[in-house]
Amino acid sequence: MQVTVKLFAFFRDGRFKEEGREYPPGTTVGDIVNSLGIVRDEVGVVLVNSRQAGLEAAVAENDAVAIFPVIGGG
Amino acid sequence: MESLEEFLNRRSRDGVVSLTTARGGSRIFGLPMAGIEEQALLLGLMPGRYLRNGLDCKEQLRLLRARVAVVGCGGLGGAAAALLARLGIGFLRLIDPDVFEEHNLNRQQFATVGTLGQRKVQAAQDALAEINPATGVDAVCGRWRREHLEDVAVVIDGLDSAGERRDLGQACRELAIPLVHGAVRQWYGQAAVVSRESDPFALLYPDTASPEPGIPEVIAPTVAVVAAIQAAECVKLLLGRPSPLTRHWLNCNLHDDDFDLTGF
Repeated sequence: MQVTVKLFAFFRDGRFKEEGREYPPGTTVGDIVNSLGIVRDEVGVVLVNSRQAGLEAAVAENDAVAIFPVIGGG
Repeated sequence: MESLEEFLNRRSRDGVVSLTTARGGSRIFGLPMAGIEEQALLLGLMPGRYLRNGLDCKEQLRLLRARVAVVGCGGLGGAAAALLARLGIGFLRLIDPDVFEEHNLNRQQFATVGTLGQRKVQAAQDALAEINPATGVDAVCGRWRREHLEDVAVVIDGLDSAGERRDLGQACRELAIPLVHGAVRQWYGQAAVVSRESDPFALLYPDTASPEPGIPEVIAPTVAVVAAIQAAECVKLLLGRPSPLTRHWLNCNLHDDDFDLTGF
């Protein structure tokens, strides 16, 4: 199935800003994070179709998944 | 003897009171600079230092009478405090337990070679007195406590830990005081307003179990941009102006020049 993945901040380094990617049915947000080599502890906000989601959330055909790192410095 | 009102009216030019006049008034009438500026603004006279703010006397008076707490006085807090003093906020409570160290020099407003080893809030207080003597500063060298927030109108988030931010957000929501959040990392930053009506921390820092990120890396331009957004947001809140940040979270990416608002 086709999923649009949007990455933010340093998650784009060596990857991409936005890409249509192919994943098997049953893929979760966590699977996408793993497939991109992103460390799970670095993941902050995840939005699926602009709504907050967890790493365990399943994604569906044509979903848009946005992944932001934790930004916490002052 | 001439009254302060007469003094200010006589010495003003085109509705403007100069710094020299304000200082003279302060000396002659034994009042702090804030008292002189307050009287001038009540008379419809603009202190020259605020002329280019483009605000009217009523708005400038609101800022002068406003009380703001800055929690964390390192990168974001220090830069925001300097901007708020320039804008004419009459009272800032600066709260931070730390002293300046060498690794602060890359981005923290009041970290200089000369202030290394000094308490951050003390160095900030000294510098702010030079920027605007009408801004009263309460320098609290320690961790923030609820009573530090109870008499202010807005709180600025200059913290660097998710856990402390959640605690601060909860205290501000209970006290119904808006908290202007900012956070930075490398070339990237974010800002939002925590209020009784909305809690962006539920989105941004939901996981109490997740580890804090390691050594914070951030460049000065990111700090300057996010602190500027926080200071502008603070002024909008004090002046009752609407802002998208009460319902959205702003993402700043200085590397790709990408800024976007996401609803929450």
